[in-house]
Amino acid sequence: MQGALRKGLVGWRVPVVGVSVLAVVGWVLFLGASLVFPKLAPVFWVQFAIDLFVLTLFGLSLNLLMGYGGMVSFGHAAYYALGAYASALLVKKAGLPMPLAFVLGPFFAAGGAMVFGFFAVRLTAIYFAMLTLAFSQIVFAVVFKWTKFTGGDDGIQGVWPIKALAAPPVSDNYYYFSLGVVLVCALLLYLIVNSPFGYTLRAIRENPRRAEMAGVNVRLHQWVAFVIAGFFAGVAGSLFVFFQGSVNPDYAGVARSTDPLIVALLGGMHNYLGPAVGALLYKIIFFYVGRQFPFLWQLIVGIILLGVILLFPGGIMGAITERRWRRLPFGRRKGVPTVAPGEVETPTGSSVGGGNGGR
Amino acid sequence: MAGDKVIFACKGLSKAFGGLRAVDGVDLEVREGELRALIGPNGAGKSTFFNLVTGQLRRDRGEVYFNGHRIDGLAPYQVMRKGIARTFQITSTFRRLTALENVQVALFVHHQRHLNPLALFVPGHKSMAEQALHLLEQVGLADSAHKPAGVLSYGDQKRLELAIALASEPRLLLLDEPTAGMAPTERREAMALIARIARERGLTLLFTEHDMDVVFGYAERITVMHQGKVLVEGLPEEVRASPEVQRVYLGEHG
Ligand SMILES: Nc1ncnc2c1ncn2[C@@H]1O[C@H](COP(=O)(O)OP(=O)(O)OP(=O)(O)O)[C@@H](O)[C@H]1O
Ligand SMILES: [Mg+2]
Repeated sequence: MQGALRKGLVGWRVPVVGVSVLAVVGWVLFLGASLVFPKLAPVFWVQFAIDLFVLTLFGLSLNLLMGYGGMVSFGHAAYYALGAYASALLVKKAGLPMPLAFVLGPFFAAGGAMVFGFFAVRLTAIYFAMLTLAFSQIVFAVVFKWTKFTGGDDGIQGVWPIKALAAPPVSDNYYYFSLGVVLVCALLLYLIVNSPFGYTLRAIRENPRRAEMAGVNVRLHQWVAFVIAGFFAGVAGSLFVFFQGSVNPDYAGVARSTDPLIVALLGGMHNYLGPAVGALLYKIIFFYVGRQFPFLWQLIVGIILLGVILLFPGGIMGAITERRWRRLPFGRRKGVPTVAPGEVETPTGSSVGGGNGGR
Repeated sequence: MAGDKVIFACKGLSKAFGGLRAVDGVDLEVREGELRALIGPNGAGKSTFFNLVTGQLRRDRGEVYFNGHRIDGLAPYQVMRKGIARTFQITSTFRRLTALENVQVALFVHHQRHLNPLALFVPGHKSMAEQALHLLEQVGLADSAHKPAGVLSYGDQKRLELAIALASEPRLLLLDEPTAGMAPTERREAMALIARIARERGLTLLFTEHDMDVVFGYAERITVMHQGKVLVEGLPEEVRASPEVQRVYLGEHG
């Protein structure tokens, strides 16, 4: 009875656009709640929400690489930091108005991703991960050491948005601005992962050799994905810098790189909204645990992450959609063929080139 | 039926793994529209030969020509774009994508949509879905269109690979043991299907196969490899009558 009812609701589709009624209702409720939220909630929670939006976008951008491309980056903060520093420096050193600096910042992140990604996509699996980590360390070292230009350890202070978006301690307008930016970016990323480009990226994740044999320039495709992911990480960084009013080398730190990783793993990297759910959970855990026990917090997140990964390899969203997934070969369910020996592909990159292609 | 035009040729193609000469100075010519079998005992170098042709392995020596162009030294994806497609000895599909999506991706790539900025915001699942379904119908997989490739039976995965290969509208199809792992009746069906599609489309076919019924039932010409070299090439009856071929095969089984 219940099940039938639910099925009926889910099954209803809005004519013309063909979207499920439930989804439309859900989004309308979400948007409505988001719009009135800053009017009702105390300042602390408005800040909390902005923080959450930024982390969500950061996680979604990494998941383009990880969930859809099979490329696990340990250094995604490099592009977040590049976006943040570029925006801050454009305001402080070049004297550009904030809106222009905000728009241009992510392009510097994309530029950095273009350079680093060019090398990274030539490697696979753990080598890819280590190289991305190394690149983020380079960014860290540069902003840390180049004191004259980047402010070194102290970073850059007083990077505030235009008046319309700023009023201490944080304005509702910056909240709406962040919400809008993150929603637009999330929609763009959603369209990208579901476009022919996105499907081809998934195909590469599944089987780079087969993709190459279907005529895909695997490295080029991965490179483009890397740049897109870097761009959106840059948007997250730029958004955050005008929220904080300052930037420092921690933006490129290892901890900042693990944030989107944890968020995607918690929420589920095989679901588009996984990182969003993961970000919410992560922030809630931080609120209840991190502030009270700053020294235990890492440990507790680690334990929760371990539990989620062991119990629900597909993260929270994977667990929610488990029924459907049971039939798919993601898990170790019976009746599903395992990968034939010699066909195992590393999760990232290609088996291309070097003359080492398998049989 | 084969025309007069040589569409594929290689000269002195060689590859050694350490001291093992897996492919050793192979010369081969295939005419347009021909159904050519490449046979030989295990380890003869057939798969290695395919990997050299497609650029997956780097050759030590030799030249490869396709349709008048020299293709050795090209990256695999470039070779594919010249009009060659292949399937693998061990099935190779996009396991967590549905059968339909598998073929769609191949179509995206062939029609250059996968990197087209204008197609970046187009819903992929609707794009080229009809053509993909049509290809699945041709290989008899339409009923499984929405199943993940990884749950398909081995034989169906081979069919899916064929559909992926056909999506790029190749002129030369390299099939590495297209019927391996299938039941005997299924083998003949599968090969009949392949031969029919090849004839309809005027495709040139170069396939390896261990099932002699399949080989002698469908190949118009046969090339026999042994220890990396071409031992004999000829019409099926010539190959069947060749004492060298019998020695190689008897030697293997005896
Ligand atoms: N990557 C590799 N590294 C080292 N040796 C290899 C490699 N690939 C193939 N070989 C060797 O090269 C020889 C030819 O192998 P190949 O796979 O081409 O044979 P085949 O004719 O396809 O055999 P089968 O009928 O068993 O598929 C074999 O001795 C094999 O062990
Ligand atoms: Mg072989």
